[in-house]
Amino acid sequence: ILQWPQISKCRSPEMETFSCFWTAGNFYNLTVPRILQLLYKKSNEEDWKECPDYITSGQNSCYFNASYTSVWTPYCVQLASKNEVYDKKCFSVDEIVLPDPPVHLNWTLLNTSQTGIHGDIQVRWDPPPTADVRKGWITLEYELQYKEVNETKWNELKPRLSTMVPLYSLKTARDYEIRIRSRQRTSEKFGEFSEILYVSFSQIGIGCDHCTEEVEFPWFLVVVFGVCGLAVTVISIMLSKQPRLKMLIFPPVPVPKIKGIDPDLLKKGKLDEVNSILACHDSYKAQLYCDDLWVEFIELDIEDPEEKNRASDTDRLLSEDDLKSHSCLGTKDDDSGRASCCEPDIPETDFSASDTCDATSDSDQFKKATEKEEDLLCLERQDNDESLPNLASTDPQRQHRNTESENSSVWAPFEDSVESPHLSVHTQISNQNSLTSTDFYAQVSDITPAGRVVLSPGQKSKLGRTQRESCTEQNFTMDNTYFCEADVKKCIAVTSQEENEPRVQEQGYNEDGYFTTESLTTTVANLGAPTAAVPSSEMPVADYTSIHIVQSPQGLVLNATALPVPDKEFNVSCGYVSTDQLNKIMP
Amino acid sequence: GLLLVALLVSHMLLTKEGVTSLPICPKGSVSCQLSLEELFDRAVKLSHYIHFLSSEIFNEFDERYAQGRGFIAKAVNSCHTASLTTPEDKEQAQQIHHEDLLNLILGVLRSWNDPLIHLASEVQRIKEAPETILWKAVEIEEQNKRLLEGMEKIVGRVHSGVVENDIYTPWDGLPSLQLADEDSRLFAFYNLLHCLRRDSHKIDNYLKVLKCRLIHDNNC
Repeated sequence: ILQWPQISKCRSPEMETFSCFWTAGNFYNLTVPRILQLLYKKSNEEDWKECPDYITSGQNSCYFNASYTSVWTPYCVQLASKNEVYDKKCFSVDEIVLPDPPVHLNWTLLNTSQTGIHGDIQVRWDPPPTADVRKGWITLEYELQYKEVNETKWNELKPRLSTMVPLYSLKTARDYEIRIRSRQRTSEKFGEFSEILYVSFSQIGIGCDHCTEEVEFPWFLVVVFGVCGLAVTVISIMLSKQPRLKMLIFPPVPVPKIKGIDPDLLKKGKLDEVNSILACHDSYKAQLYCDDLWVEFIELDIEDPEEKNRASDTDRLLSEDDLKSHSCLGTKDDDSGRASCCEPDIPETDFSASDTCDATSDSDQFKKATEKEEDLLCLERQDNDESLPNLASTDPQRQHRNTESENSSVWAPFEDSVESPHLSVHTQISNQNSLTSTDFYAQVSDITPAGRVVLSPGQKSKLGRTQRESCTEQNFTMDNTYFCEADVKKCIAVTSQEENEPRVQEQGYNEDGYFTTESLTTTVANLGAPTAAVPSSEMPVADYTSIHIVQSPQGLVLNATALPVPDKEFNVSCGYVSTDQLNKIMP
Repeated sequence: GLLLVALLVSHMLLTKEGVTSLPICPKGSVSCQLSLEELFDRAVKLSHYIHFLSSEIFNEFDERYAQGRGFIAKAVNSCHTASLTTPEDKEQAQQIHHEDLLNLILGVLRSWNDPLIHLASEVQRIKEAPETILWKAVEIEEQNKRLLEGMEKIVGRVHSGVVENDIYTPWDGLPSLQLADEDSRLFAFYNLLHCLRRDSHKIDNYLKVLKCRLIHDNNC
């Protein structure tokens, strides 16, 4: 390969002189040996001049001493023989500064650790002798590198201006090597490294030969034992019979499936069960029928005699089954081994609920079985479910009955309100389709001694209602699921005198909207028509009642009487009323 | 967003170099003056920072616009400050009187005032100029002003008698920065930035020499 002569580099060590070096290549092995010349030219000159000194910097070099060097003047050099130019370079001296290495490296001991295993040293050096640092002509910064003797990788320190640096925590049992290089402060390139400085603690008598066995942290042992211990713990938990502990550590993993739909059931065409499955369970609280969390419900075929009495499939489908208090949204449905019929946050709630679970009747087992799948479809249900999830959480049995039209006997007051399957007792705060003719909410008219809440039917049909007066103009944000009590109250207060219609409701009728418990409880409504008076669906019934007693956490006892609307507006943030404000409402 | 980052970076750089403004005078002092040493310290820090920025902006510009255009080959870049005779090596720098050197420094700084203002504004017109170049140009212009103020203070302290300073070269390179032909325009920028880097290095060096000479008695 033919290699042309090339200028390899030009370098100034101290910004007072500079040298250029070139390689001759193998060019003139092939032809008559030519004499290479280096010509130079300053930018303000016309002629090329020859190199003043070919010797001082060695072979194939050209040395320009101080008299030939102008620092900030552009130069051009070219490598040429008689009539051929092989290479050319242009630069100015301030750009090619590469300092010499520092000299006179030495180290002193600063101190050693108590055990004598580690020590600190201070390394000092002098700037390269050629660089005139004292007069400030050149400013250098230094980079120190060190490593143990038998290592391969150097540790680098940050470049610094000072000519001394401490090195901390070196092992006294090992020997170290140190080297330093320098560069001009605003340059990027470093000069050559200095000679290597050897650091050996044993030389000054503090080497600790016996300390070679450093107690290093036995990471390996720690990891191994940690893993073993963890494995033992996990296995013991898995094998233990403590269901709660097991539940705590290994929460049940739901099998992915469409909530509420069991393909097998659909295939078999058992409408009853499908119907019950499609029932919406609205309670969020743990109305748990979990007498045993770990009972597996693969499939239950318990037939409910009531269900056979259903008028039609459609009715059955649309009637409210039941229900459990499983929420539409929250529970897991997992038919491949029901770990729990409870909410995800089981550990807290189910312990208390399981007590109540035990009290459930056997008939609830069926409900449990068929409704083990919660369904989100209850959102689309045309029917109302009954549930008072937040009102009586301790009473899981409230809605366990299939409250079909025929079976509303349990809820005496409103059986006649059930004219159609669509209209039934509801006490819910469930997500109802506004298209249904059923109420979104119903008024709690009484609480039976058993602890069940008796609801009064709401209005039959909200749709197509003519707008009432001032409330109609009000713009309730329909897409909010929460309403400001203030707004609602205003509406109610204005119109409550005339009608006991919960107009607000109609305004607030929203596919997805539902009132929170708070809104339910704090809204003061005129209960002009308590339960007994409103059997017919036409009769408007106040949908809200006031709280009589708040027995948290077990529920609220609602007051059947109307309470006066307080004069002043509450300063209520949407959706919530503090207990103080609540007290104000209360007589 | 980018501007904020640029500001933060510049602030970091400033604090790194210690160029943030320090409280000059303790409160309540009537006649308060910084020592000459303090003035020189700050001036050196500023000049070092300006040179650092100039190097960076030149490198960035070189990388981005000058590759393959052969700008370097045209090494006959003459700077507008070439007419000022400044020391070109250590000997000359040693021999020149410190007052003259100070005046020279002032003259060079003044001569760069105008070009830096135009650089900061014209560089924005370069097609797709990177943000780093833009803010550096602005920063250099600002710091140059500060250094000029500081140097005038120093000169006021050091000079005995009336200060006569007419050292100045005007700059007429603005049209070249506004050329229609992109190549020529970019070459004009390249030239200017190259000169800026060189001159900022000169200033930095002269100030360090002066500092060592006047403050530390040639024993830095």
